[in-house]
Amino acid sequence: MPRPLVCFPALLALCVLPTAGVHSAEPVDYARDIKPLFAVKCGTCHGALEQEAGLRLDAGTLILAGGDSGAIVVPGDASASSLIARVASDDIDQRMPPEGEGEPLSAEQIALVTAWIDAGAVAPDDEPIPVDPHEHWAFHAPVRPPLPTDVDSDSDIDADDASQNPIDRFLSVQQRSVGAQPVERADDTTLLRRVYFDLIGLPPSRAQQQVFAADESPDRWQRLVDELLASPHYGERWGRHWMDVWRYSDWDGYKQELRGSQRHIWRWRDWIVDSLNADKGYDRMIVEMLAGDELAPGDEEVLPATGFLGRNYHNSNRDMWLDATVEHTAKGFLGITLNCARCHEHKYDPIPQQAYYRFRAIFEPHKLRTDQLPAEPNLLKDGISRAFDAEPDTATYLYVRGNEKDPDKEHPLSPGVPDVFGDSLDVTPVSLPVETYFPALRRFAMEQQLATADQQLAAAQRALSEATTQAAQKQPAAQDQPDGKDKDKDKDKDNAPADVALLEHKRDVARANVRSLEARQAADRAKYLTPAMDSDEAEVERLAVEAAWAERAHKLAQARLAVYEHTTAVAIAESSNEADEMKKQKAVDDARKKLEEANKALAEAEVEAEKSDGTYTHVGEIYPASSTGRRLALARWITAAENPLAARVAVNHIWLRHFGTPLVENVFDFGLRSPRPRHVELLDWLAVELIENGWSTKHLHRLILTSDAWQRASAATGDVAQRNLQVDPDNQTFWRMNVRRLEAEIVRDNVLAVSGDLDPQLGGPEIPHDQGETSPRRSIYLQTAYEKQMTMLVDFDAASPNECYRRSESIVPQQALALANSTLTLDKSRVLAGRLWEEVNETASADAPTSDDSDARFVDVAYRQIFARPPQEAELAACRAFLREQSAVLAQPASLTSFVGGAESKVAPADDAAQRARENLIHVLMNHNDFVTAR
Amino acid sequence: MSAQHRHGPASTNPDRLPSRRGFLRDAGLGLGGVALSAILKRDLFAAASSPPDGRPHFAPKAKSVIWLFMIGGASHVESFDPKPALNEYAGKTFAETPYGGVLESPFLANERVVAFDPNNGFVRKTCYPLQVGFQPRGESGLEISDWWPHLAESVDDLCLIRSMWTEDSNHGAQLQFHTGRHRIDGFFPTIGSWVHYGLGTLNENLPEFVVLGTPLADCCGGQEAHRANYLGPRYDGIPLQVDPANSMPYLAPEKGVYVEEQRQQFELLDRLNQITADEHPDDEAIRARMRSYELAFRMQMAVPEIVDLDRETAQTRAMYGLDADETRTFGQQMLAARRLVERGVRFVQVYHGSNGGAGGWDSHSNLKNSHTKLCGQVDQPIGALLKDLKQRGLLDETLVVWATEFGRTPGSQNGNGRDHHPYGFTIWMAGGGIKGGIAHGATDELGFHAVENRHYVTDVHATVLHQLGLDPHRLVVPGRQRLQRDFGTPIHEIIA
Repeated sequence: MPRPLVCFPALLALCVLPTAGVHSAEPVDYARDIKPLFAVKCGTCHGALEQEAGLRLDAGTLILAGGDSGAIVVPGDASASSLIARVASDDIDQRMPPEGEGEPLSAEQIALVTAWIDAGAVAPDDEPIPVDPHEHWAFHAPVRPPLPTDVDSDSDIDADDASQNPIDRFLSVQQRSVGAQPVERADDTTLLRRVYFDLIGLPPSRAQQQVFAADESPDRWQRLVDELLASPHYGERWGRHWMDVWRYSDWDGYKQELRGSQRHIWRWRDWIVDSLNADKGYDRMIVEMLAGDELAPGDEEVLPATGFLGRNYHNSNRDMWLDATVEHTAKGFLGITLNCARCHEHKYDPIPQQAYYRFRAIFEPHKLRTDQLPAEPNLLKDGISRAFDAEPDTATYLYVRGNEKDPDKEHPLSPGVPDVFGDSLDVTPVSLPVETYFPALRRFAMEQQLATADQQLAAAQRALSEATTQAAQKQPAAQDQPDGKDKDKDKDKDNAPADVALLEHKRDVARANVRSLEARQAADRAKYLTPAMDSDEAEVERLAVEAAWAERAHKLAQARLAVYEHTTAVAIAESSNEADEMKKQKAVDDARKKLEEANKALAEAEVEAEKSDGTYTHVGEIYPASSTGRRLALARWITAAENPLAARVAVNHIWLRHFGTPLVENVFDFGLRSPRPRHVELLDWLAVELIENGWSTKHLHRLILTSDAWQRASAATGDVAQRNLQVDPDNQTFWRMNVRRLEAEIVRDNVLAVSGDLDPQLGGPEIPHDQGETSPRRSIYLQTAYEKQMTMLVDFDAASPNECYRRSESIVPQQALALANSTLTLDKSRVLAGRLWEEVNETASADAPTSDDSDARFVDVAYRQIFARPPQEAELAACRAFLREQSAVLAQPASLTSFVGGAESKVAPADDAAQRARENLIHVLMNHNDFVTAR
Repeated sequence: MSAQHRHGPASTNPDRLPSRRGFLRDAGLGLGGVALSAILKRDLFAAASSPPDGRPHFAPKAKSVIWLFMIGGASHVESFDPKPALNEYAGKTFAETPYGGVLESPFLANERVVAFDPNNGFVRKTCYPLQVGFQPRGESGLEISDWWPHLAESVDDLCLIRSMWTEDSNHGAQLQFHTGRHRIDGFFPTIGSWVHYGLGTLNENLPEFVVLGTPLADCCGGQEAHRANYLGPRYDGIPLQVDPANSMPYLAPEKGVYVEEQRQQFELLDRLNQITADEHPDDEAIRARMRSYELAFRMQMAVPEIVDLDRETAQTRAMYGLDADETRTFGQQMLAARRLVERGVRFVQVYHGSNGGAGGWDSHSNLKNSHTKLCGQVDQPIGALLKDLKQRGLLDETLVVWATEFGRTPGSQNGNGRDHHPYGFTIWMAGGGIKGGIAHGATDELGFHAVENRHYVTDVHATVLHQLGLDPHRLVVPGRQRLQRDFGTPIHEIIA
């Protein structure tokens, strides 16, 4: 059963608060108990940003200093302190925080503050006074810092090495500052496996291992990195990373009902993969995702990018839909928690509540639709889901205290970004080409529509001519007056006289439909597709009149058909052999009533048919002919070189996924709760580097992978490492590589890849999640949506489709059970054991080896195949002993107890005990800690 | 797994595990409850949100919780909160009764929905008479309807809370009942996951938070109603099937794999991992992974046994209704629930009425038929659970909670049904240090608004945590804001 989500729990969050707990037995501590409480309850109005009543409560000295009306705290006497009187007041006009600005302090919290004052209101003297939030490091555009030059002045870091890569230069400054010394480069086998997983998410084959081992050229590492970056699997690997950040979700719903995200949104996934493989600029990707429909309205390669917006769709609540859009556009691209300002001013960042709704106004006009593709008229089967501005005039209102039932309709809001960033949006409406706002007029769409009508007419004509022939052969027959026997269900229909008149009516309708469609297409073409200068108004009007006439003729034919059908139905009801008179009478009455309605409709249609005006129905939906340009303006603002956040946030995400830890701890909150990070210079240097290199993410990957930092060993052995563990145990200065657990998708892909069964096909519609055990495709293509995720992936901390800016790396027994008992690992270990044993036999047959030799060779190739390294002596010995003992055990099946059994595998275990033991061995290796680990 | 027990007795009893040599060598390191729970909770990044240490905050009254949830909204006025006025004024509008004021109550403003539903979720204003009779029961004389004859036998152990209210007048209220937050606000940790987060395990071989029955449908929260959200997936409820052969995903390999074969594999795995671990003395992850395999191995043995109800006597099986079609499924779940708490599982959440949509209890029409049938499915098994827990001396330490997302309208819908009703409804608790034979709180004469001792759903959460010795204010996670209302307040009046 798909369990949940989740992500890095401590980061997932909300708008938040360090809660001042009740520490009953301990004395009140200002830093622990009081400061965080005031920050949340009072900080917005009495802090660095605003000083209501001249009062600040964001530092102990400022609290004691008081405000315009004097001191608010009398140290040692809470009862005389106006601070307590105000926070504890029952008078709603007196109480702080005021109504609507936050919940009152709880009794426990008031007791804490009271205790703190009674104990003398002690606060540290050296507490820094918070600066104006506008000065926050992340709110100013990054400037490229100079490269550190004196890296080896008093350390034994090799200046020649360190000087090569700017990353190493910046890191060595930090390492020296804490007294850490970087460890050696990892060995080749470790590095090769690491880089394969890092860049393409697949293990190196044995052939690839050999090629690398044999390559002695000085640039072999650079070439390998370039080769891997050029692999189409790079896009899959890094696509999945960005899909976490951009919240990819396949559509969800009950049966066929769409409830969340969009059908065919896999085209957005494929766009992500393709864009990365083509090294499309990150800036361009953002613009296409937020405003592809405004940037390139008719471009079917670009439109799927707006899946970023489509994924927020919520079928039953527009507010939830737009809330998600606002929250995650801000978190994903800008690293700001704008969502914290939905109900009130942001508690930490200088973001008023209004800013939340002005940001929402950017998205207010947009909706989603599915455009038809040439090959598939049925939109349930395929199509392009894309965003478009449907309602340019819908106003946006602030919801008072976030309550959707209380919009502030007095003050409609204009689109905008938070003032703290200084700029305003430069919004220019975008006029759209006709094929975009009137997609039914695209040539293929018109042809398809007409072809369908033609087919219907041909079918109707065929049915009629067959019936006519048949009727001629069966003379005489009462044709126009069905006698009621027709309704006898037991009677063979083929032998019943065909209702030729009915078929004539149907033929007439189909013919009228074709004429109507042709005429309406002609009229729409003349009106919408003819360039203004060539437009002949009289001709347009004439065609409109013709279209209207043809449409009315079609309706008339339909009305005649309806009358005929209902006349027949009345006759059938009247001659029915229903025994219950009441029932029969009711059926007759119902049928007559419908006939009456049909006659009325026919009369109306006949009147209509006499008209000669030019009012007709367009051949398809016409959407607004222009788009507001709001989203495009936002995207341009985000991706402008002056934007302080976009490049930094992107660099941080990329760094996290190469090193396992980020440069800025909270990857979606670069606001005031993220103090200036240790590696800010490195971050800024890389951010500027990204921008100045056309936002090429491959450029950044290359820079990182060719750094010494990335290539260091992860093992902390030796004296150097022991010293480092003392001074920097958490590896904050990256003196070594971090050991990482492979992500859920890569664990599953690894099983498929080492077995040799992986199907490397790229792209296409999602594969149902319950086929994860049997599908040979990479995990990125498995359905992932609310309530629809493969269990094994969820067990290994797959991204919640709802939100996952950072994966967790848990270690729980469910993972052990999944690898030990899934049919996937059972099947693939059997397949791989068969392949390897065959190979061992083929290569060994010449020198007629002993079975011991064969076992050793088998273990050797198995280790190389699965871990990309040879086995060590101790491992070899343990595996060989296992093969011997296990063969002996399995050779006595009568003495063994079978499991009752979970799901059934596709591949049966080998009959031969020795081969089954080998299968067991492969299965064990797929459960090894290092199978799911990159060192 | 029963066949396996008959043929391979040595392999399945967790108390008599086969020789494990190296595999369980770390026994000294952490097979005690609390220490092992730390292993269970092992996470490379645990430091980021250091969880509680597994000890209660104060002396607990209960060790375990069995949480029964009726999906769709069970009628309070036809179960535990009789309203004779509805019979007296049957067919009359509220305005024609002396109680028309219910329609002007400020409490009506609490209602909040994700989506307007043109058919359901309305205030119905014409009195619909009770579809079942009530009797005073037991020594307490509490009135319980005739649809609950078995449960009524334990009435003196029940504490009815007749003054519940919630916000959502649609079935998102199912999620809200478990997280304390309206669906519009998103997903949050559920009550079971808070218990799991707060307390150490009592049995290292079993999950701490187990889910029985088919979960909620996606409309109404789906599996988010037993998940842990920001607490992390290790605190999620783990769904179990009452089927020894297939109790949980991946719990057993396919039929035909030998128990001995796999045991040897685990031994080899342990040996190979140890070689790697020796090379990387500072790699905590590999040690944690080795322990996770130990635990998995133990779970694999212990879980099928626990859902093997053939181990119960014929008398017990009959008591739970396992021999009747109508009661079998829920009876199996109740019996499994008892076996789970008996072995130390902390929180067992049991769903009843899942139907892929709003839930079986959602009786907009034909209420009499549907409630007769649904009560018939659960009454005997729940009654048996209470009696069985009591006779085994487990009721004192097991808190049983019966709940539903909202009640049903006092007014009629479709002539023979009732609509959703979030303004006043009933749940009950039993055992676990809760007073028995009492009714706490009250609705007005029509059963419309909770008017006396009103309780929002988080008061139930707070009471559950309190009985387990936990203070919700101390279960906060750094960096996560919880509103005052999220914590709720324990209902002290009902605590024995």
